[in-house]
Amino acid sequence: MPTEDLTLVDMLERASHNPETGLRMIDRYEDAELFAYPDVWRRALGVCGGLQDLGVEPGDRVALVYPTSMEFVDAFFGTILAGALPVPLYPPVRLHRLEEYQARTIRMLRAVEAVLVLAESRVRRVLGPAVAAAEPPLGCRVLGDLFGGPGEPIRPSADTLAMVQFSSGTTVDPKPVALSHRAVLAQIDGLNAHWPIDTGIDHSGVSWLPLYHDMGLIGCVIAAVAVPGTMTLIPPELFLARPAVWLRTLSATGATISVAPNFGYGLCVDKIKDEQIEGIDLSRWRVALCGAEPVVPRVMRRFIDRFTPYGLRPEALTPVYGMSEATLGVTFSDLRRPFVSRCFDRELLSRDGRAVEAVDGVELVSVGRPIAGAEVRVVDGDAVELNEGLVGDVLARGPSIMDGYFNRPEATREAFRDGWLDTGDLGFIHTGELFLTGRKKDVLILRGRCHSPTEVEAAVDEVAGVRTGCSVAVSWLPDGEDGEVLLLLVEAHRTVKHDDFAALAEACRREVRSATGLAVDGVEVLVPGTLPRTSSGKLRRQESLRLYLADELDAPRPMTPWRLAGAAVRGSLEVARLNRKIRGRG
Amino acid sequence: MTSSEILAGIELVAREHVDFVGELRPEMRLVEDLELDSLKALTLAIEVENRFQIRLDPEVEAEIDTVGDLVDVVGRLLAD
Repeated sequence: MPTEDLTLVDMLERASHNPETGLRMIDRYEDAELFAYPDVWRRALGVCGGLQDLGVEPGDRVALVYPTSMEFVDAFFGTILAGALPVPLYPPVRLHRLEEYQARTIRMLRAVEAVLVLAESRVRRVLGPAVAAAEPPLGCRVLGDLFGGPGEPIRPSADTLAMVQFSSGTTVDPKPVALSHRAVLAQIDGLNAHWPIDTGIDHSGVSWLPLYHDMGLIGCVIAAVAVPGTMTLIPPELFLARPAVWLRTLSATGATISVAPNFGYGLCVDKIKDEQIEGIDLSRWRVALCGAEPVVPRVMRRFIDRFTPYGLRPEALTPVYGMSEATLGVTFSDLRRPFVSRCFDRELLSRDGRAVEAVDGVELVSVGRPIAGAEVRVVDGDAVELNEGLVGDVLARGPSIMDGYFNRPEATREAFRDGWLDTGDLGFIHTGELFLTGRKKDVLILRGRCHSPTEVEAAVDEVAGVRTGCSVAVSWLPDGEDGEVLLLLVEAHRTVKHDDFAALAEACRREVRSATGLAVDGVEVLVPGTLPRTSSGKLRRQESLRLYLADELDAPRPMTPWRLAGAAVRGSLEVARLNRKIRGRG
Repeated sequence: MTSSEILAGIELVAREHVDFVGELRPEMRLVEDLELDSLKALTLAIEVENRFQIRLDPEVEAEIDTVGDLVDVVGRLLAD
């Protein structure tokens, strides 16, 4: 059977003949346990049998709510073998209120019409209200509830849907991305074709990325099963609390491939102390992919400087670009060279959408060229392809692009333009490589994860004194920052006095942190009617941000400490530019 | 372990891992007063578990609002 007609079932069965490799789980005490692929297969067959006994039919959606654990893997592949569609959802945020979490989970369960929720036992106890509201017909169960012998795997065609993953940052209006076996395996083929083979090294990986995320599940677990190669999985919360675990595990396993968002690399530089990584050797780490959020060149350089003494290869850092609608990856930069960044004239870029190299310009990182089988083009508003160096909408096409959003024909139609996926990102091609400059889609990208602005705005609406439905949340990457910053632009109710704007700003900041767990970097309180709207009255987030950055949010505005703080953020842009000019002259 | 010993232990964790300065008091609310965003809350939870060799439950965590609540939960888990 040609590779392109294989399914995830075939892939896992093939791996099951390889007892040498498997999935290695690191627990909270950093102890490792290897589950060889024959084991992974056997356990999945058991879950498959249990699901079939329960009445799960091919094509049914089964929601999975697990922390990183072997249980997740069992539930995921068991569902696949039963011909049903696994839908990974995220477990609750720690030490935070559950109301938001439950509301979000209800929306997601409803969006895919899940027939069953499989959950870790501890998580199941907090899912009660969500399950009661969404009423999956087969209920919410833990794997231990499933009885029955090994099931008989369903053998779907490659064009059958394999799984559903939620598009990042669409939690209020969740968009479930439906992927066929063909799309997932095309992505895996594209990825696995990239690893350097000339050196004769035996590839293996380490990942701390959550398994409810495309990069962790498809890019790490499924890619490893396809080889088959060994993948070591670290619970994301362990990495976040103690980033040194990642580097120690890379060293201990001799893994060659690992991936993280920009923020993960920054966290390592900021938090790891020398004594935590004494004696580690990072020289076998050939590919350090960096994606899921804008790549900040300074963070890459700091990471290289910090860990080169431990054997890190500077050329290992590899910026990549993708999105869940494309299964995962769209472009990859060249593995044989260090990451490439270039400086472009700021004025020409922002005013005319022209990328012209300039020594003291804004530094952007190349995210490389399309992965095998994929195509990328940059077009103008009339869908006419633009020449190199002109900023436009980034479109993508290829075998790993989603079939569409599950049960959402209208959203699917909007996502495509003449058969090309509109990524919602803006960028340009320079010397054949893609550079990203911003986005038109409304999504907040904070610490490697996408969030919905509506969720943050809903929290702001709860604050007394805020004009209901008249605030926007935006994030962007200012010069001199290691990641995107979160800004709230909030219209106060007309009864709120200017003297109380600072207190209102602080109340908004607290409510957002409390409701969403997000740290707000700046709040700008505005008088009613300041924010730009469409003719139908909808707030325009990207235009609001543009006006804010240009200091053109028009309405009489008083000077408050928060306003000054906002000006300071904005000012950092100016200061950085000024500094470079001064240095340039010197 | 007494409540004040547990409080002192949590204070050390908060200082070392979530940049807390000052004196930790039971009536302080984690999110509002300690200004814990999701990353800091997670770090505090993991490091408290690590220090006291316990495991917090999502169901119980959802009920924790103040430092005092956390002290009580840790005390209960240690007594079990």
